[in-house]
Amino acid sequence: MKFIASKKLSDNSVLRVVILWMLIALILAMGLSITAKAIDYGISPVQWSRTILGNPNEFIEPLVFNDLLLSIHTDLFGFIITFILIASIYARTSRSTRIKIGFFTLSLVSLLLYPLALLSSPLSGSIGVTIAFGLFLFFHNLIILGSVDLIILLIRKKL
Amino acid sequence: MNQRLLTFLALIFVALVIMQAVIGAVLFAQLVGISPDEVIKYYGNKSLHGMLEVMLPHVLFISIALMASLHFLAFIDTLSKKEKTLFTQLLFTLFFMDQVSPIFISYGIVFFAYVKIVAFFGFEGVLGWVWIVIFRESLLNDTSRH
Repeated sequence: MKFIASKKLSDNSVLRVVILWMLIALILAMGLSITAKAIDYGISPVQWSRTILGNPNEFIEPLVFNDLLLSIHTDLFGFIITFILIASIYARTSRSTRIKIGFFTLSLVSLLLYPLALLSSPLSGSIGVTIAFGLFLFFHNLIILGSVDLIILLIRKKL
Repeated sequence: MNQRLLTFLALIFVALVIMQAVIGAVLFAQLVGISPDEVIKYYGNKSLHGMLEVMLPHVLFISIALMASLHFLAFIDTLSKKEKTLFTQLLFTLFFMDQVSPIFISYGIVFFAYVKIVAFFGFEGVLGWVWIVIFRESLLNDTSRH
């Protein structure tokens, strides 16, 4: 709570180091999340479609809907917490309101549409999976970019 | 910041948490079941380690999600302080009962199967009501401003 109450982060060297390491850990978490998904689903929309929707020609069964739900549920756990952590720091940066709003809107919209696209994949087919794949990568890259931006601001004592 | 946009962002966030809760409810109904017998059977076969693997992320995430959701409630003027406190106490009590009861079920205390079901649906219901209040209030405030 001290973080929210204190006026300038550059005045508190301990808090700066804490936030810095947390951001580095978040970047690592995003990298690990992409790696884990690459192992589970694959590294391209085609591989994702094959895993989720199955492929009769290769005798690959589609993912059981409960497993898909469980995967989305677990993903959202981590992603929402990640978003809250990043957003709470980003909101108090010296970046312009337009950049902040843009960052929040893009990350929230991609976070909302990613599970919806995956959930709709039994109906929409590979289009839904491809959209989910794109949004998944987009959200992760956005969080990594936001974290790097915050690290730069921290180092330049502008936070 | 633009008030309408902030309301929009808040609504997306709440929609995300609602989606997470709905998926959780569907998973509960599909994997565990909604009758006491199904609940006893499911948790009776689970190890303590297996239950902790599920419980730990839930306790962490739901407490954060509750804090985020209930802090919106704190800004609502149409509810009294007493009502807001009651909602908060009720939600956290139901949440703890829901999370802890599987341990007792695994030790053979059948009563907690009923506690689990009541706590789970009670929690989802009260949380749903809180979100309806938040939605209604943000939409009404937004309309009255324009």
